[in-house]
Amino acid sequence: MSMPIEDCFSVLVSRWSDELVVTSAGNSSEVWWETTHDTEKTFYLEASMSLSTMFAAGVAMGYPDARVWAFLGDGAFVMNTGLLFVERDLALPNMVSIIVANRCYGATDSVDLPNGRSIDFSGMARAAGIPNVFRFTSTKELEAGFDEAFKGVGPTTVVLELDRPTRHYESPPFDGPELKYRFGRALEKRFGNKVLP
Amino acid sequence: MNEASPQRSPNDVARTVADVLHGEKAKLVASLPDNWIAPMIRHFDSDSRFRHVAVNREEAAVGLCSGAFFTGSPGVALMGASGFLTCIYAITKISYTYQIPMLFLITERGAPGDAARYHVSNGLYLRSVIDAINMPAIYIERFEDLHKIGVAYRHASVIGRPYVVALGRNLLKGVA
Repeated sequence: MSMPIEDCFSVLVSRWSDELVVTSAGNSSEVWWETTHDTEKTFYLEASMSLSTMFAAGVAMGYPDARVWAFLGDGAFVMNTGLLFVERDLALPNMVSIIVANRCYGATDSVDLPNGRSIDFSGMARAAGIPNVFRFTSTKELEAGFDEAFKGVGPTTVVLELDRPTRHYESPPFDGPELKYRFGRALEKRFGNKVLP
Repeated sequence: MNEASPQRSPNDVARTVADVLHGEKAKLVASLPDNWIAPMIRHFDSDSRFRHVAVNREEAAVGLCSGAFFTGSPGVALMGASGFLTCIYAITKISYTYQIPMLFLITERGAPGDAARYHVSNGLYLRSVIDAINMPAIYIERFEDLHKIGVAYRHASVIGRPYVVALGRNLLKGVA
């Protein structure tokens, strides 16, 4: 059982308030942009290939009073499953890692993931010692379990079981430096610190 | 001076590097080991002025340090030359695409004096790979030059891209 990414992200966005968001290459960046058009609380790390949660952890460490959502495609996750051990070690209470599990490389024409249908992402997270692991296969489950999964004390891994993409969305229309300055300036304004040189 | 009578211990080198970075207000150090920098990693792990994160893949250090930049303090990635060479994708796709500064502190493995045959390739290609991606670099062989780490850290922010400082064997072993 799985859900369309558009419906899933609509639920997330409807519950989204001031959390900082880091997206990864492909579907999470494209559909988050399509749904929110936000560039102040969101950093679209489209050139990520498994590093979005580490990037988000760097942000979360520096802003302990903020909550950070880090999207990670399942194609990226299988490239670097060792990230789970670092996340466990970091034990960041304010970060939620979100695995976008559509069992394909959504950023590259939805080519199948090797062994994709059999991978138990939530089981892997539990085996790595992540104390809070949630798996959602429908928007109904997501709505019911949202608060426990997204508002609790981390480290947390959320697995979103999604349908394969049925259409292509555009990437956020920004060069890297523009995203850096938009996100960085918004952080400076919100937290009162100096981020950008 | 030969290796039997080191001028300074590797711990002295580690402490000096940490002092320089603290002077630049660096806070995050992410590392993955190389024999030559193991004492330095242990130092950062116990130095309360820093948050040290042990990663299990060098590219992860690029991710962490890039995120840390947005907290106002570019990160420092401490690793061996081999690990650095695995980071080319992360450097070109994250650091360069978004113009995010960070500092790489790496070992200059494979240079003359390194007897490890499995590091010969680093000696042959490390500098040319660094040049090929137009990465600013400083190669430090002498203890007296460690202050240049601070210059590199600061300049990374000025130019909005990473800077690499490669540390030589004799320096890290305390004989330079």
